[in-house]
Amino acid sequence: MKLCVSTACMGHGRCYTLAPQLLSGDDEGYVTIRGGDPIDVPDDLRELAEEVEGTCPESAISLTDA
Amino acid sequence: MESSTISEVKGGEVTGCPVMHHDFSTTRDLGDYWALANDLRENCPHFYNKYSEGGYWVFTRHEAVKDIYKTPEIFSSESITPWEPNPIYRFVPTQVDAPDHIKYRRILNPWFSPQAMEAAAPMMREICRGFIEPLVPRGSCDFIEEFALLFPTAAFLNVIGVPVSHTQQFAEWVDMFFGGFGGDPAGAENMAKALGEMREFWTEQLADRRREGFREGDLFSYLLNARFDDKPIDDEVLLDMCTVLTLAGLDTTRAELGYMFHHLAQHPEHRKMLVDDPELVPLAVEETLRYYTIIFGDGRKVTRDIEFHGVQLKKGDMVYALVSGANRDPRHWERADEFVIDRKRNNHFGFASGPHRCLGMHLARREMAIAVQEWLALMPDFELATDAQLMERGGGSMMALSTLPLRWEVHS
Repeated sequence: MKLCVSTACMGHGRCYTLAPQLLSGDDEGYVTIRGGDPIDVPDDLRELAEEVEGTCPESAISLTDA
Repeated sequence: MESSTISEVKGGEVTGCPVMHHDFSTTRDLGDYWALANDLRENCPHFYNKYSEGGYWVFTRHEAVKDIYKTPEIFSSESITPWEPNPIYRFVPTQVDAPDHIKYRRILNPWFSPQAMEAAAPMMREICRGFIEPLVPRGSCDFIEEFALLFPTAAFLNVIGVPVSHTQQFAEWVDMFFGGFGGDPAGAENMAKALGEMREFWTEQLADRRREGFREGDLFSYLLNARFDDKPIDDEVLLDMCTVLTLAGLDTTRAELGYMFHHLAQHPEHRKMLVDDPELVPLAVEETLRYYTIIFGDGRKVTRDIEFHGVQLKKGDMVYALVSGANRDPRHWERADEFVIDRKRNNHFGFASGPHRCLGMHLARREMAIAVQEWLALMPDFELATDAQLMERGGGSMMALSTLPLRWEVHS
């Protein structure tokens, strides 16, 4: 599974607060991978990744099976 | 953005849309504004709300509210109060659109980032305890007046570098301002007075920094040093920024805390869950922001003729995105009308969304979590100390309880 965050990210910080194992924030509060390449989601974190996707108020997170 | 629900039109008549006459500025029984939002949402996806001098479109459902937030190029923030398209105040950057908006936000974001709030958390916790400890032996208090108004104000002043001794004065200004913000003409004079006095205070603060030199950990020094398009920020703009930070930062958190503690006073099972598992507190805070959202609606000004969710909007029209309707819309939420303390996938609009999402959100949720943790650590049991009907301020100003009498057992 891959996780991608678009430039719709406005820095709510919900994703990296919920899943610090996967994501982190920059100095302004945006997720560091905003508008960048997708990251790999380890199998044991798939459920968490799905939760993170559903928590973003901007619907900026997308998951794809790879 | 072009989609089946948003498309450009040239003129066109409005048809098939109900016209209503709701006054959202009045004080009502606690909970009435959410009940009203539920009714409006289930009766119609949109309507035209007419008042004596004008009117505006109200969009009641999650999908439309989301689209309004997602298309700031169509829905301008030039005015965020649909009953007042040309207000006497200017909030910066709240009422600034692209391209300047993001430049201001880039200046302010780091000051209120999650990392900055993490660093400030121990100080906030100490301030919080300082307000709670003297209450414990008393056995009762008015939660709003003696805690919810004071703690967020003191924490905020500390975060921006203003002495906490000004807490009472700020609490008064903010109360005066919001007496008029929701459209109640009786509050207009106080609103103007509060704005004037706050401006005077900020003017003195800025003059003081220029005279006495810049300080570390001081927002004024930081803003006086900041560059906008390679130039210092104008004084007028600095004052507009300080004003909105104050208004947005103090009143809102007091309001959310009021509703959260009203809920906890009536739900011992939820208090117990939070005491047993403090990790749940952040989830409970988010659910409070969804279920007890204090933003009745959020206004925007239409920038061009457009068809939006079946309504033909014209340039200059005001719209009102009914956030309180969206946050409990069963088309989006499971168990929409239920407070689910450990709710997952909680992508609520309690802090709005889009580029204007609440700047102080990380401060606010910190303050709320700290308030709950510290209060429950010292007073895990408390209840409402009145049978009287509690009232909430009009949704136009953002709902808030004016009073919340609580009592608890005193252990000697």
